[in-house]
Amino acid sequence: MNIRILIEFFAAALGTMAFALLFHVPRKYYPYCGLIGGCGWVCYELLLHVCSAPIATFFANVLVVFLSRLFAVRKSCPVTLFLISGIFPLVPGAGIYWTAYYLVTNELDLAGARGFLTLKIAVAIVLSILLVFELPQKVFSFWRKDRP
Amino acid sequence: MEDNREALDVAARAGEILLASGAEIFRVEETISRITQAYGVTSSDAFVLSSGIFLTAGSDREREFARVRHIPLCAARLDRVAAVNQLSREIVAGKHTPSQARERLDEIEKLPPKPRLHQILASGIGSACFCFLFGGDWMDSLASFFAGVLLYVYLLCLARGRLSKIASNISGGALVTLLGILLYQLGLGHHLGEMIIGSIIPLVPGVAFTTAIRDIADEDYIAGAVRMLDALLVTFCIAMGVGLVMMGYHHFIGGLVL
Repeated sequence: MNIRILIEFFAAALGTMAFALLFHVPRKYYPYCGLIGGCGWVCYELLLHVCSAPIATFFANVLVVFLSRLFAVRKSCPVTLFLISGIFPLVPGAGIYWTAYYLVTNELDLAGARGFLTLKIAVAIVLSILLVFELPQKVFSFWRKDRP
Repeated sequence: MEDNREALDVAARAGEILLASGAEIFRVEETISRITQAYGVTSSDAFVLSSGIFLTAGSDREREFARVRHIPLCAARLDRVAAVNQLSREIVAGKHTPSQARERLDEIEKLPPKPRLHQILASGIGSACFCFLFGGDWMDSLASFFAGVLLYVYLLCLARGRLSKIASNISGGALVTLLGILLYQLGLGHHLGEMIIGSIIPLVPGVAFTTAIRDIADEDYIAGAVRMLDALLVTFCIAMGVGLVMMGYHHFIGGLVL
């Protein structure tokens, strides 16, 4: 189980770094993107044992946005650089697929359930981003790297 | 007097690059006002939408200046966002004259995109990783890798510049599903669903979605709504592409195999 989590951490980190490349993030920031993506996914996986997918997504994404802001302050660059690729492991791609799948196979109640679950996850992502961006900048600046 | 004009020009171009590269409205407005203030222009006022920038200046003491820029929605270039952000910090610190800053902006606009081969491989690796995360095994991830690679080959070499956003997302979703089914039928990969989920991830509109939320959080409702619509539309297009091919497959196979 522990090894599985470790492998998943690296898979999520690698996947996040791949997406960072697709969005043209400068190369020196790849490791941070990977770290954020990996942490977010592991947090999600661990929380999934104790609560539902939208709630797990919410807390995992709070971690992702928090780390993104922390690194953005540390590296004095826009938070978007870390946030966009870091969020990717939590984006409900599976939800989109299964909703479309159940729709065309005419299992409409399953499609409805999957669609609503996807929507809930999307709302969880929205709420977590809103929450962490309400925190004042001061919270993050303790870790600022003071330049000479 | 003339210097004023050049400073505003620099500010407008910095904002333009930021907006076209996928930055939030708030960042664009803040960058423009920081640059103009750093060059001592006090009367400037910028109004930014998701598809355009309106910048004017002028008072009793400062000359009139007005600029309207139309900016179409385009692909994310976060390297440019980072570079302009760095430049704006340096301008505020007083390190550049307006003409030097303009040269830097020229350089930033010429920043080359990542090589196509890297993008294609990244799409494959991303697909494989996410297929694995969503519960696929090694074989599924391998199949997903091929589907992701071919998806980006298709997007970069065939679709870009020729097809509209809607058409390229529907066809991208359809292509990935078709490849998934093909590889599944050939025996490469055991979970069709996970394979397809992995390889549609490169199409998912993460940038539009994230930026839309941040715009709405900053109360830039118009830009946020436009970007959210963009994200939703792309999502529906992907689902439609997947659904269409799935429908054909089920019709063909009789819905027995799955």
